[in-house]
Amino acid sequence: MMRQCVTAVVSRNELWSGKAASEPYECGWAGEAIVWLRCLGAVKGKPGAAKVRVQISPDGMRWVDEGTKFRFPAKEGAIVHARLTNFGNFLRVVADMPKGASAKVLLTLTLKE
Amino acid sequence: MDTLTALRLANPKLSRFSPMSRIIAFDDFDDGFCGYTHLVGNYEHTLDAMLPGYAQHTHPQLSNLANWESGTHGAFDGNYALKIQTRPHRGAQNVALKRLTFREPGPIRLEFYFTFKPEANELRLSETDVRSVGFLYDLQTGYEEGGTRVMPHVRFLNALDGKHVQKWQTKSRTTAFRPLGTEGKTVTHYHLAPTDWEDLKNGEQKLCYNEIPTKVNWHYVRYDFDLRTMRAMSLQCNDRHWDMSGVDPIVIPAMRNLWCMLNICFFAEADSDKRAFFYLDSVCLSGEFA
Repeated sequence: MMRQCVTAVVSRNELWSGKAASEPYECGWAGEAIVWLRCLGAVKGKPGAAKVRVQISPDGMRWVDEGTKFRFPAKEGAIVHARLTNFGNFLRVVADMPKGASAKVLLTLTLKE
Repeated sequence: MDTLTALRLANPKLSRFSPMSRIIAFDDFDDGFCGYTHLVGNYEHTLDAMLPGYAQHTHPQLSNLANWESGTHGAFDGNYALKIQTRPHRGAQNVALKRLTFREPGPIRLEFYFTFKPEANELRLSETDVRSVGFLYDLQTGYEEGGTRVMPHVRFLNALDGKHVQKWQTKSRTTAFRPLGTEGKTVTHYHLAPTDWEDLKNGEQKLCYNEIPTKVNWHYVRYDFDLRTMRAMSLQCNDRHWDMSGVDPIVIPAMRNLWCMLNICFFAEADSDKRAFFYLDSVCLSGEFA
């Protein structure tokens, strides 16, 4: 069988501010993932100071840090990514945005068996 | 029994369906997404132009129905079902669809096995947290046929405003069209607006819901529609049957890009500030044509 590979847009044109989190995404069928976070604009304040964290969950409700962190892409068009394996069944991405900081994002998962 | 029927009944995957003579698509989500993606709203130049009703949509998921206290539930067969998940607020919706066209206007049959639950984040039954689950066709005639776009909508209204309603409804009106952008090529309308749902006659149905929010039972739906008359014929859910010939679909003028469109959409709506999950184990679309 050919390996499944799926691109899932999890957050599209969402304005992230404060304690931002993507919607939970169930993808235990996949053995590997690339998380892509792209800034779509509407930048206010200094979102570049935000740490973005990947989180995993046993049930889609209770979340722990997976360990991967990256800086928030603070300019329109900027994109950051992280490669993941052994993430179990549920993934999400969270960001603690600095006070007064916000930006629109496109969060995409590339998932592969 | 004819040979075709015997062969289908001998196939465990197909035996629980009753397809018409041609199987257009048989989608078992153990095999992947099978062409189901999320309904992205129309826009021009900027995503900001998308209506809020569509902007909330996210990609469907392949779920093994994992629960916090009982582990993986699994699907009707195999491990995976397509999961359509709303955001966690009252009135939130999400839509997954498959985009096809038809080659012959005639009777078609949509069959699927489904279940639904809210996110199990409370230790209570939560039977009124999912507002509805439903399906619709987005259809357009061939351009020789005079040109109409037809959108029959059906939903199981599970709960509304905290009341456990449990009845089937249909829709025959959409919202007004709005132009998008400046190029005069794109318009939008919000056919899943909460307005204009009508009760199906004798459409009440007590579906098996089970006794805690992490147990599900699978249900069967069959919906017959005629692409020639662009009218529904019948609806079945488990042991109940309805004549749909008197039910009007949404009918709107044809659009210049959508000839012979045959889109199958499934949607979920939340009635509380919890995510609603609509699970599809498998979908069989069949038709009666040579």
